[in-house]
Amino acid sequence: MNSPELFIHIVLLLGLAPLVSGCIRNWKAKLQNRRGPPVWQPYLDLEKFFRKDMVISENASWLFRAVPFVLFSSTILAGLLVPLISVAAPLSMFGGVLALVGLLALGRFFLALGGLDPGSAFGGMGSSREMTLSAIAEPALMLAVFTVAIGARSTDLSQMLMAAQGPTWKLFNPAHVLAFAALFIVLLAETGRIPVDNPATHLELTMIHEAMILEYSGRYLALIEWSASIKQLVLMALLVNIFFPVGIAPIQSSAGALGFSLACLLAKLMALGAAVVLVETTNAKLRLFRVPDLLSAAFILAALALLSTFLFQ
Amino acid sequence: MPHPSSTELATSQWITLLAAGMLVVQMLMVVQRMLLTNIRLFAIQSLLLTGIAAIIASFYHAPEVFLVALLTLLGKVVFLPRLLSRLVRRIGIHQEIEPMLNSTASMFLCGALTLLGYIVARPFTSFARLGNNTLGIAITLLLIGLFLMFNRRKAITQVLALLTIENGVMLAAIALSSYGMPLVVELGVFFDVVVGVMVLGILVYRIRESFASMDVGKLTTLKG
Amino acid sequence: MNAHSPVFLLKLALCLYAAGIGSALLAVRRDKLANLLGFGSATVAALCGIWAAILALTASAADQVASFTLWPSFVPYIELKVRFDALGAFFVLIVSVLALALSVYAFGYVRGFYGRKSVGVLAAFYNALLLATTLVFTASNAFFFLIAWEIMALTAYCLVSFEHEQAEARNAGVLYFVMSHAGTGCLILGFLLLFQTSHNYDFASFRALGAALSPGTRNAAFILFLLGFGVKAGIVPLHVWLPVAHPVAPSNISALLSGVLIKTGIYGLTRVLFDFLSPVPNWWGVTVLTIGTISAVLGVLYALMEHDLKRLLAYHSIENIGIILMGLGAALMFLHTHHPVLATLALIAGLYHTINHAIFKALLFLGAGAVLHSAHTRNMEEMGGLIKRMPKTAFCFLVGAVAISALPPLNGFISEWLTYQSLLQGFRSTESLVRLMFPLSGAMLALTGALAAACFVKAFGITFLAQPRSEHAAKAHEASPTMVGGMGILVAACAFLGLFPTTFLQLFDPLTAQLTGQTLSAQLSLHGAVFPVLRNAQDLEAVSSTYVPSGSVSTLGLAFVGVGLVVSLLLVLKLVWSRKTKVTAGPTWDCGSKGLTPQMEYTATGFSKPIRMIFKALFRPHREVQREYDYSPYFARTLHFESHIEEAFVARLYRPLNRRILRWSLRIRGLQAGSIQAYLIYIFITLVLLLIFAL
Repeated sequence: MNSPELFIHIVLLLGLAPLVSGCIRNWKAKLQNRRGPPVWQPYLDLEKFFRKDMVISENASWLFRAVPFVLFSSTILAGLLVPLISVAAPLSMFGGVLALVGLLALGRFFLALGGLDPGSAFGGMGSSREMTLSAIAEPALMLAVFTVAIGARSTDLSQMLMAAQGPTWKLFNPAHVLAFAALFIVLLAETGRIPVDNPATHLELTMIHEAMILEYSGRYLALIEWSASIKQLVLMALLVNIFFPVGIAPIQSSAGALGFSLACLLAKLMALGAAVVLVETTNAKLRLFRVPDLLSAAFILAALALLSTFLFQ
Repeated sequence: MPHPSSTELATSQWITLLAAGMLVVQMLMVVQRMLLTNIRLFAIQSLLLTGIAAIIASFYHAPEVFLVALLTLLGKVVFLPRLLSRLVRRIGIHQEIEPMLNSTASMFLCGALTLLGYIVARPFTSFARLGNNTLGIAITLLLIGLFLMFNRRKAITQVLALLTIENGVMLAAIALSSYGMPLVVELGVFFDVVVGVMVLGILVYRIRESFASMDVGKLTTLKG
Repeated sequence: MNAHSPVFLLKLALCLYAAGIGSALLAVRRDKLANLLGFGSATVAALCGIWAAILALTASAADQVASFTLWPSFVPYIELKVRFDALGAFFVLIVSVLALALSVYAFGYVRGFYGRKSVGVLAAFYNALLLATTLVFTASNAFFFLIAWEIMALTAYCLVSFEHEQAEARNAGVLYFVMSHAGTGCLILGFLLLFQTSHNYDFASFRALGAALSPGTRNAAFILFLLGFGVKAGIVPLHVWLPVAHPVAPSNISALLSGVLIKTGIYGLTRVLFDFLSPVPNWWGVTVLTIGTISAVLGVLYALMEHDLKRLLAYHSIENIGIILMGLGAALMFLHTHHPVLATLALIAGLYHTINHAIFKALLFLGAGAVLHSAHTRNMEEMGGLIKRMPKTAFCFLVGAVAISALPPLNGFISEWLTYQSLLQGFRSTESLVRLMFPLSGAMLALTGALAAACFVKAFGITFLAQPRSEHAAKAHEASPTMVGGMGILVAACAFLGLFPTTFLQLFDPLTAQLTGQTLSAQLSLHGAVFPVLRNAQDLEAVSSTYVPSGSVSTLGLAFVGVGLVVSLLLVLKLVWSRKTKVTAGPTWDCGSKGLTPQMEYTATGFSKPIRMIFKALFRPHREVQREYDYSPYFARTLHFESHIEEAFVARLYRPLNRRILRWSLRIRGLQAGSIQAYLIYIFITLVLLLIFAL
């Protein structure tokens, strides 16, 4: 770990995340024949939230105020474990993919508590649904991750990436394709995308994430929204970098190589974002109790991925 | 076992990828509730099969396998799905399939069937020849197809299941023999299935006419 | 004798527990004095126990494992022999740490019993239970072990039914009594089987058995021990007594029952499987891993359905026993495939989780006890808003909740991380299809962890957050300083075990050297420049030159960077935005609805409803809605809603079994003729049959 690297990584996480969210929102609108907000709208939103006054519920305790900070820093920590433009993630020594899952779970745990704290029925509903769906998504996520980790012989993300770039790795390995499909479904669930949750709605019967953060305002809301988009960026970067390790700079590269790597990363993120947009536009939101079917499909896909690691040796 | 060349490795990789795709499509058919989407999925599966056949044909320079691929493309990717979807539209049946087992349970069962297929195929799996390692998938397709047949009530979905079984058989043929079964047998199976489906289609239409339903359960009322 | 010798300290601890029993009974009429004497001596004894265990676990390998005879015995085969080896010392460490925290907690907690119940009796039983448990962990003779085991079970029974004026406690006590004795029966048979070959009840002779045991005997012994220790550990489906018995005891006792007593089952299994019965066939490991996985998933699912805070915690004990058994099962499978290093890793994972679970579960039970103490209910639906009235308790409970949900950086995460790593490596340990079990169990472990997080969001959120849902909750008060102190000790232990795992791992070396012949702490820990890193190597079996870490984690490092991030964030916010914005407190917005009352809050039952719906095939919830209306069904005048869940095992397994046993008993009752001649004839016939059998 060295500090300039750490600093660049944090800046990338903070800076890129709203852009990715903005692009997805904009493209989705374009695909639906709407004009849509500009791609930098999330930055403006964040800036506005930070300037706003806050109203905090009288029922809320100190925990309510602590939640945005825990969520924000745990999400950034999770991001620091994922290699973005260099093969070595800044904190890769401090934990691999298991720690990544754990940190995201930590943030979610506190966010769900924050939803319950003001005592509104909506917040409780959101927390309940969020915890339920994430619980069902977890086995699929873990099994898919296991499949990749078994192939790479490591749970360390940098190691996994190096194995992915290595000679034994095949681009269209069936195990990887299946694991990718499983993780893509998990990505949709974890980031609250359409078949699972609708990020654009505030209709109480359908929402999950929005219900939880209903009582937050001002800079706390900004922190929560920012962490949500960072989490999305982290998961997307994980997916594209592990499965398409093209153009990622090796350890100790020059600035030029890192720049090329950044361009590659952006291109890959945009491609994945386009896929998300396509899924969101062509699908309807699933009824809440149909979502487990989708997630169990992800689980089976991950199990098939595992099976095919030795089905095709 | 001779050491495989690098082109052979790459080709084999594509074949396994396509075969895995067939398995995934089969799984999707298990969970998908909409009849028309199911038919489309079947078309995709057949397309993947066509791809495998074409790859093998070009690798071994075997024109007769090309013929099989072409026939599959015309018959199972274009003709039969069209026929079936027209049938569905014409008799205007309810779109939703009502399976006996819910989709989660079916998924887990199919996962188990995949494992079974793999175990059964393991003694015969070798890497001596292209595509041999897809035998496990072929057997799995067969098993899941059988499961689909008894899990669904409507006659037309059973036709669909039968067709996926045929896809499995075809894949097995490609996987096992030197390059597919003898052409005559292959063609025989193919036309058999096409004719069978057409007959079944007419039958479905008749069942629908007589019972105002496609539930094969209603056929029990036929016995005196 | 040397004051620094572990054996001396152990003896001292045992004497102090005994003194605790005596003094508490002497002062039985004076509650305050009994409290002070009974729990005071237990506190000191616990300190001695901790010290003794740490000394024993850090002693160099050359030191002789000390054994001594507690009391000369005149009965053949029975020796009251105590042997303080590494495995025993590890479990003595667990019981002593808990005893320390619980005794400190008890000073304040038992004040609630003054004048109502006899504190002296409680303290005496408490000390007796600790004494017996310590002896269970150190006994080195099967007979002595069983005697200590029985004393432990009986005192636990007395403590479960301590508040015997409540029918619930009495029934729970009886259920516990029956199940526990069925288990002990299995143990006796198991030890007798071993005795057949070894002709001695000494543990050393069992250890020497090795291959002399025939496979049939070996398998039979395995099943008997699994059943016997399984009942105590609470594995599914032998767990039914656990969620009934643990909650009704006083809370510090519940903590002891869930924290330590069920661990005696784990101790027994480890002792028997790793120490006596090796080499192990493959199906043992497969069985243990399967049982562990099932217990973990079912335990947490049933826990989610509870809204009784202590029952919820009790179900979580089943879950955690499952996780521990996953580690042990994997270790057995590795032993079978001759991967001693991997086996050691899995064993460490299991035992690390054992001590972790003891600590955070005790912490949670103590928190629940503090809540119960001041809100006078165990029903979560009547709590709420306690975080404002009991901030310290709430904080401690939150720490426990984070730890049990296996979230970084606390201790639960570390042991589950180790479990994941060993399961992951297991995939490559064998070529047979059995290896599929490893990742699948890993996936189930992930499910368990995420469901546990959901469950503790519910437990903490409904209990401590939002508005109070009842009068009692609104009037709740903070727990007394000693109660908070007791919890504080456990919070510190959670933090230590979570942040400094590599320090703690060193204590495992003598233990694993004893059981698998390997020491791993040096390989697992990497002392980086600043932060200790826990790591796990790929190909642990390979030569050390190709040693590439297959995963590493440093909770301290993560925590440090995380705190740094929070601090810098606070600074930035303060400098840039805080001055320009103002913060006001207002009513909860709630999408604009007015007049939010506690009745409108989400309930515990409502919170877990999605899970209940998704797993309804398992739960088969029973639900009944009655509505009365005057003219239109849309405007109900009264609405009665009832919903409950019965455990499938109770309904499908135990109830039919119970009925059958009762039917058989009725039939056998005919034998009870009531005449002495008849009984004499029975005795005579039995004697003759036995003689014939002996021919």
